Amino acid sequence: MSEPLILGIETSCDETGVAVLSGNEVLSCVLATQVDEHARFGGILPEIAARAHVEAIRPLVHQALNQAAIHHDELDAVAVTRGPGLVGALAVGYAYGKTMAWTLGKPLIGVDHMEGHLFAPLLDHSDYEPPAVVVLVSGGHSMIVHMRAWGEYHVMGQTLDDAAGEAFDKLARFMGLGYPGGPAIDLYATGGDPDAISFPRPMQGRPYDFSFSGLKTSVVTFLEKAKTANSVPPLEDVCASIQEAIVDSIVSKTFNAVEATGVEIVAGGGGVLANRRLRQKLQEEADRRGVNLLLPSPQLCTDNGAMIAAAGRYHYDRGVFTPWGSDVDPNLKIGQ
Amino acid sequence: MKILAIDTATPASSVAVGEGDNLLAMNLRVDRTGHLSFLTPAIDMCFDQVGWTPRDIDAVAVDVGPGPYTGLRIGIAAAQAVAASLGVPIIPVGSLTALAWRAATGRRRIWPVVDMRRNQVATQAFMPVPGGVVTDGPAQVVSVSEFQALLSSDGIETLVVGDVAAVGDGFLRGVQRAKQGRPRYPTADVILEIANLRVQSGEYSSVDEVRPRYMREPDAVIRWAEFREEGIWPGSETQ
Ligand SMILES: [Zn+2]
Repeated sequence: MSEPLILGIETSCDETGVAVLSGNEVLSCVLATQVDEHARFGGILPEIAARAHVEAIRPLVHQALNQAAIHHDELDAVAVTRGPGLVGALAVGYAYGKTMAWTLGKPLIGVDHMEGHLFAPLLDHSDYEPPAVVVLVSGGHSMIVHMRAWGEYHVMGQTLDDAAGEAFDKLARFMGLGYPGGPAIDLYATGGDPDAISFPRPMQGRPYDFSFSGLKTSVVTFLEKAKTANSVPPLEDVCASIQEAIVDSIVSKTFNAVEATGVEIVAGGGGVLANRRLRQKLQEEADRRGVNLLLPSPQLCTDNGAMIAAAGRYHYDRGVFTPWGSDVDPNLKIGQ
Repeated sequence: MKILAIDTATPASSVAVGEGDNLLAMNLRVDRTGHLSFLTPAIDMCFDQVGWTPRDIDAVAVDVGPGPYTGLRIGIAAAQAVAASLGVPIIPVGSLTALAWRAATGRRRIWPVVDMRRNQVATQAFMPVPGGVVTDGPAQVVSVSEFQALLSSDGIETLVVGDVAAVGDGFLRGVQRAKQGRPRYPTADVILEIANLRVQSGEYSSVDEVRPRYMREPDAVIRWAEFREEGIWPGSETQ
């Protein structure tokens, strides 16, 4: 039997993503990013995101089908992000995907965005399978998931305040480095000394949870003091030290979970995993412990349609479809 | 010509299917946040009722607003999905036109209103003509008091239709020669009727031309401009 052809649509935040998968093979994966539209506000504005999605969705679906050389009718199912995310943004993709599935007489699969991230490593690594520990870090979420089996997820830890990407954004904004903060800090950190300033590694008492608000306060206090004393260190060193604190925190929590669960596969997802230092340190730690690190390529770490189609395919194989009367759920919680 | 019409531009959601002048089936629900869960089952029921499959239709008509944004986008995204998947044209119809069209009897100048929240309404003047209405001024978003001023300065008898309740009780008191009428919300049967006439006169749009008529900047952008002027967010160095 040939592999199912599944269209995936993702519009939960500031990326409109559409992809066509044949099984786990990515036939096309197109993206309209809104970074420039949000940049002047230093963060994502829900109404601007929703407006951009409705402009982008139809041309992107067209482009994804074209690049995959697939006609609408050949699709076996349409998978769409149902939540969590910004309600107005989710509604655009869901309305499009649901109505498209109905028009074509194909099943609809409403997908949890986080489950999409959990499936993304599969697109680059055929040896990716549970049990695994997956660290998901982005501007909207930070969590560590123990995936016991496909479809069986236990959230071991999450952020108690800001998401990792949010911490990068806020600190970058404070230092005047622009938006999005992660790439800016990653760039300035190049050549900087990560040990120049010792910022706190928070939440030592909770092995799997993140907290970044303390770091933010400590950076702000440090810089203000340094300014008064006329001893502000080079920007490269500040960025490298901030990045090191965030990266250390993510790496240590992840491997705490690896140790506790005894898994031999570690994976990840979310935009923050595009950070080069984070990828490097996760790799070093994985090598040291002899576990297999399976990270998606940076393009598949950020939000995209392919990961939604991949999770959709899992439900498709089980014949689990979503009714026409379904709605988006901006507060969807994985593993519940 | 078989047409599917969709209207989710206001708290009312509705779907209608028809052929030529005949309305064959319709579904309607008033629910401020229920557009998305209503829409697809409602379309499905209409098609079931008339025994059509999606491939039978020749065009999709949709209310493109103005109206509260999330519902508006749901209808437009859905209409685009149907039109693009079938390769049929899409016919955009404005919410104010649909309201005035349904109200068009007599001689009064018609002022339809759509609640835009933040104490504002979208409105436009229309005059009834044989077979429909014609616009008699620009579409605009105004505050409730500005709207009262518009009506008061209108020299002829007027008919106010639309979500008047959202504007506030008794706002017509003291406004000379103004009368309140129906409908409260635009509905898909009217969208269908208008679309059918447009099709007959060859007025199609390409799917790319169909986008929401917001008529107002996002709230955050408005506030941002205010902040910038007052300098509340210094250090936001980008741009
Ligand atoms: Zn994400």
